[in-house]
Amino acid sequence: MTLDIETLVDLYRDMWLIRAFEFGLEREFKKGNVPGMLHTGVGQEATQAALAAHLQASDAFFPDHRCHGINALAQEKHQGDGERIMAELFGRATGVCSGKGGSLHSANPKVGNFGDNAVEGSYMATVLGVALAYQMRGQPNVACCIIGDGTVGRGEFHESLNMAAIWKLPVLYACVNNGYAISMPVGKGHASADIVDLARGYGFPCEIVDGNDIEAAYDAVQRAIAHIRAGNGPYFLEFKTWRWQGLFSGEFRPPEEVKYWKEDRDPLKLAREKILAQGKLTAEDLERIEAEVKAEIEAWIDFAKASPMPDPAKATADVYVGWEVAA
Amino acid sequence: MTQATTRTRTFVQALNEALDIAMARDPNVYMLGEDIGEMGGDFGVTRGLWAKYGDARVRDTPLSEAAIIGTSVGSAMLGMRPVAEIMFADFIGECYDQLVNNAAKMHYMFDGQFKAPIVVRTACGGGFGGGPHHSQSVEGWFLNVPGIVLVAPSTPADAKGLLLASIENDNPIIFLEHKALYRIKGEVPEGYYTTPLRKAAVARAGSDVTVVATMKLVHEALAAAAELEKEGVSVEVIDLRTIRPYDAETVLESVRKTGRAVVANEAPKIGGLAAELSATISEECFHDLKAPVARVAGLDTPIPFSLVLEKYILPGKEQVIAGIRSVMK
Repeated sequence: MTLDIETLVDLYRDMWLIRAFEFGLEREFKKGNVPGMLHTGVGQEATQAALAAHLQASDAFFPDHRCHGINALAQEKHQGDGERIMAELFGRATGVCSGKGGSLHSANPKVGNFGDNAVEGSYMATVLGVALAYQMRGQPNVACCIIGDGTVGRGEFHESLNMAAIWKLPVLYACVNNGYAISMPVGKGHASADIVDLARGYGFPCEIVDGNDIEAAYDAVQRAIAHIRAGNGPYFLEFKTWRWQGLFSGEFRPPEEVKYWKEDRDPLKLAREKILAQGKLTAEDLERIEAEVKAEIEAWIDFAKASPMPDPAKATADVYVGWEVAA
Repeated sequence: MTQATTRTRTFVQALNEALDIAMARDPNVYMLGEDIGEMGGDFGVTRGLWAKYGDARVRDTPLSEAAIIGTSVGSAMLGMRPVAEIMFADFIGECYDQLVNNAAKMHYMFDGQFKAPIVVRTACGGGFGGGPHHSQSVEGWFLNVPGIVLVAPSTPADAKGLLLASIENDNPIIFLEHKALYRIKGEVPEGYYTTPLRKAAVARAGSDVTVVATMKLVHEALAAAAELEKEGVSVEVIDLRTIRPYDAETVLESVRKTGRAVVANEAPKIGGLAAELSATISEECFHDLKAPVARVAGLDTPIPFSLVLEKYILPGKEQVIAGIRSVMK
């Protein structure tokens, strides 16, 4: 399919926002300004931008480890303060969870972000309940869980797909198959390198999507969400993609594979070519967009750095609802 | 509650009444679990409710404990009030992550933006030849988990009032139902009432020694107290009722009064509730104690099948009596 130029440029901007966010974050992480661990979504921008484009604030999504981008997009799109995702990763009081959650636990229900759970696969069970609440209340909302290929190894994968199928729940499974679960290649860790092969037995629609082609990703998410909103039950999308970040110890994948994905299959480069092929924007127009986005991300980083640290006394707040815990 | 008419009801009937009342009062309350629908649950606690409330609110599930709890948590995030049944507490291992990393931390890690008001009813405890995987007392598995609430009634009246209070509470609650108590009878008030969480009950007043107990062991402690009364020993029995966070105030006040403490819990002694209570009492009441705190607990073994073996490792009235004698020396 071919998208109209306005939509395509919007998505291009969103994808750039994700990449600039992650590169900026990685730079600050290396400087020691960002605590904890860092999993970036560079290379997977098309999937996240496509999901963010179609999910409404009244829907729910459970982000995975590499989802700073969609978290920031949802925050920016629905509330205009994407910098609060950055501040959360810096552990600041201005973050979406006031610094309590960090990279792997950023949530904001007002924008549909129901939070990552750092035990991969755990939210594959949680998403069922969100979907069930929508169903029981007759609401046409979608509960989406974004999972990696590694997550498929969890028992919750089976429990979730099975229960979603028998109860016909409005769940969108967005499986971002980036080829590796940390170091484990997908074909070695699972009975099939195509995750849809493991999902098809549950009897609802499953599709393989080119996760680096923004038009294909946008189209697939649109189709899946329309199916779910119409009350037809769950939908499974497997986005074939590749993550740019290697291991903490460095790159572990063969040079030809790295070259292929970074140079030939870069989702931003592919999107750029599509835009230019329509002949309505020039390379300079796109460079201006990129510069704007990068400047915005730098402002977010400045905001995060300038934000206060949380009050240490908040460490004992909200353990229980309505009950205090002794400090 | 004091004015209400009471009727004699079993523990199971009391729980069933609570569920019925909660379902009728609040459309957000629903139940899910294995065989809880038409069958009415393995122990009959949900009997009749499927016929009354239908498939949507009394949901039979596959053998998917993680999905049962995950579904509960997710729906609770949107304001539903799920009451999940995990058929045997021993199966909680299958959904431990959902409870520990998800339900217990949801409110905290997301800075108060979500609540997880779930109630997980589960049948626990031994004494009937259930063997290693149908008999355990699991409260110790959760004692070290901030955010979780453990409720453990010992009487039919409390079972009803505590279950209603639990369903209304905004925290994730594991509601422990000791299987040996399911068929006991007691006076149960009619209609709606709640019994406060985090509030222990003085099951029997006494002046020489305090026994802090839970669930079935409350009854064993009361039997022990009746027997020792004949010897002139006055035993105060505290029924903890909420195990986490527990009512330290009532416990400590009693121990300060009696100067002697026995803590009785069916789970293995090491690292369990008895250990926690013993430590807190020793820390807080050291100068009031006339003897070291005695722990009455299960032996440090899995639960064997043969009744002779099982009886050997689980604490009962005789062990409580021995515990009391040890602190009365």
